[in-house]
Amino acid sequence: MKVLAIIPAYNEEKSILGVIQKLNSDCAEIDYLVVNDCSRDNTLYVLENASVKYVSLPLNLGIGGGIQAGYKFALRNDYDIAVQIDGDGQHDTSFLRTVTKPIESGEADIVIGSRFIDKQGFQSSGMRRIGIRFLSLLIQVCCGIKVHDVTSGFRAVNRKFIEEYAKEYPIDYPEPEAIVKASVQGARILEVPVIMKERENGTSSISAWKSVYYMIKVSLAIILCRLSNSRKEH
Amino acid sequence: MTGTLRVILIVALLFYFIIVFFLLKKRRLALKYSLLWLFMGITMTMLVVFPRLLEIFCRLFGIADTMNGLFTFAIGFILMLLMALTSIVSKQSDRIKELVQESALMEKRVRDLEKEIQK
Repeated sequence: MKVLAIIPAYNEEKSILGVIQKLNSDCAEIDYLVVNDCSRDNTLYVLENASVKYVSLPLNLGIGGGIQAGYKFALRNDYDIAVQIDGDGQHDTSFLRTVTKPIESGEADIVIGSRFIDKQGFQSSGMRRIGIRFLSLLIQVCCGIKVHDVTSGFRAVNRKFIEEYAKEYPIDYPEPEAIVKASVQGARILEVPVIMKERENGTSSISAWKSVYYMIKVSLAIILCRLSNSRKEH
Repeated sequence: MTGTLRVILIVALLFYFIIVFFLLKKRRLALKYSLLWLFMGITMTMLVVFPRLLEIFCRLFGIADTMNGLFTFAIGFILMLLMALTSIVSKQSDRIKELVQESALMEKRVRDLEKEIQK
């Protein structure tokens, strides 16, 4: 099966090469694509000089737009599985096989790497965990599925959802909404335990003062997504 | 509504139409977006030229002063227009997103082809 790792990068000049080296040594057989979301630092320069495989967006679209560009690439180049990995080194690529395996076996359509199942590694700060728990509960109420780590960007999807996500993908703060969207389309969603690290460089895309906006926006998006789609049974 | 006010309003509406038509003629306003502007202008003109209509409207909705009725119309139209604008902006940003993604994917293809040629 052809597997593509989609690595969104925004201002990751310090960490991006490390992520790719680790990926190459952990799973040399899979392809990857870095999506440079119009970084303001030297990310593009670093990518070009290291002859990394990348696409570079001419305007900043935010994480959702970048990821979707990756899915479009995966669709057009006939990949069977796409895996999202953050460009900041948070996601340990030695778990990549764990995340793709249930898809290869046909057990699931979407697999989410979760830090909250075995509760190992970096667990995020207290406030954020409360926020994540709330969103998780909201998704459970709306879709009837339990996903613990709804904001995890370490996830794999099969061909069917590469197609769906290439067509339509949430724009900003897309992770929880993407789960809901897939769920209402009848996806079988599975969570597997992974260990995440604290980011090595750079800052999170969600700063403290933005978190209120984040919570309102994402909650609304989840409810809206649920209301505007009648559930398909699989 | 006093006679003086009606004259002023009619002159103002005349200017309004001149501006809309001028922009349309210069193609600075797309016809499909100008329909709401024209509809707004025509309704307001009707209300000013035939104040009876406005009076009926005000009585129906329990508005004491006809001027407030006129304001109600104006505010209603402005809200509609803003909503239309927000909707247009949302659509535009979605289209821009598609273009940005396409151009990035295209750029990669060009880059890969150039590399292949250079080999």
